[in-house]
Amino acid sequence: MKDKVKEVLASLLKVKIEELKDDVSLQNSIGVDSTEMVESVIALEKSFGVKLNIKEITKNSTINDIASTIQSKLAK
Amino acid sequence: MEKIAITGIGVVSPSGIGKRQFWANIKSGRSFIKEITRFDASKYPAHIAGQIDDLEKYSHISERLLKKIDAFSHMALVASELALQDAGIDIKNEDPNLVGIFLGNAIGGWLYAETELRDLYLEGREGVSPYMASAWFPAAPQGQVSIYYGIKGFSKTMVSDRASSLMALGYARKVLYKNKLNLILAGGMEAPVTPYALLCCNTYGALSTRNDDPQAAYRPFDKGRSGFVIGEGSGIVVLENIQRARSRGANILGFISGYGTTCDGVDRINPASDGKELARAINMALNDAKAKPEDIGYISLDGLAVDLWDNSEIKALRLVFADALKNIPVSCPKSMFGNLLGASGALDMIIALLSMEHSLIPPTLNLDTPVLRDINYVAKQAREYKVNKSLIVSRGRGGINSALVVEKGSI
Repeated sequence: MKDKVKEVLASLLKVKIEELKDDVSLQNSIGVDSTEMVESVIALEKSFGVKLNIKEITKNSTINDIASTIQSKLAK
Repeated sequence: MEKIAITGIGVVSPSGIGKRQFWANIKSGRSFIKEITRFDASKYPAHIAGQIDDLEKYSHISERLLKKIDAFSHMALVASELALQDAGIDIKNEDPNLVGIFLGNAIGGWLYAETELRDLYLEGREGVSPYMASAWFPAAPQGQVSIYYGIKGFSKTMVSDRASSLMALGYARKVLYKNKLNLILAGGMEAPVTPYALLCCNTYGALSTRNDDPQAAYRPFDKGRSGFVIGEGSGIVVLENIQRARSRGANILGFISGYGTTCDGVDRINPASDGKELARAINMALNDAKAKPEDIGYISLDGLAVDLWDNSEIKALRLVFADALKNIPVSCPKSMFGNLLGASGALDMIIALLSMEHSLIPPTLNLDTPVLRDINYVAKQAREYKVNKSLIVSRGRGGINSALVVEKGSI
């Protein structure tokens, strides 16, 4: 799950996968901006087939946070 | 008003990227007008242009940023970097509050806009990039340049059709003169080689449709003229107060010493046929520069290659320069790479600076049979000539007139 999240974000935002850290926020790892966050939420929704809220996945989310949010949605 | 020093040149054009390559091509009188290859333009009445194919090779912009911006912002970022390098300025060492950006363009970033609008209608709102809103609008390059360098000083974007960038240069000088800033990145950028922008230019009706012979299509002031050819690119210069430029030991490439602008107020598209308001703008620029008409050694023409525009431009010059006109070399170098619309004036000024530096006046291509005679046209090939002061003329639809006087630098 974490690897797929990283793949989706790296390909969307044109950053290297290594730049995305499991336990560092997107803000602190790649300096994501608010428009990139909107894009990221839409891309993750499409890739995982879940409905996400922009309040659930934010600049302060880590890869671990994002993966567990998606995991819990998929489990429902 | 005081003169302002030009200390760096950044140029991105169909005739070359970087001032060395650009000047080598300009002085050789080589045409870079060709059939458009970026998309299938064959069904457009006019489908030739000055197109830039190798921007990526010179670009320092990351893929991450490129997906958020239009080509015109990309060109402005590359031209800004080249200008700063040429000036020997590292923005990190500057007070960001005292650095400004004054850029002009006529049409905005259409490649981004039209692609996303297509997706809006095909895929719905979720198909549209969230960057659409900030990528297409005319002030986007100013924003991107300011973000890239952390520039925070007073800045403006001018939108005055083809006169936009010359106007940006004129206003930037005023702001520097008032000592509001230490330095300004000024000029313009335009990227009209896109399906929709090309359609709009075609609809305007002033493009040459001589598609079978692209290099011969743009013929300002020639009997066989049939309209202009569009081009894309950016010209940006670094402007500083003379004292500051001298104290940091900068190479002063030239000075902006006068600027004037007027409106014809006669038609939505066309200029006034009498050239009187353009003449008034030129006189304003000369007075501002404390220059007499006979002090001008070279005139860079707007040269739209449309009867009314070309003839009224020559009328204006005759009103201002009278008998002195026959002694002043004039040319329209944009006939080599296309009319960069809102960025055209900045490129013309850069060419005038390089001409004065090298004592070589670049030619107007395809000027075989001048319609109006007794004008000292430099045609077909460059002419060696020493110039200390040049006049740049730039005009926009709806009767926008602007004129700038630049003087030779201290190299």
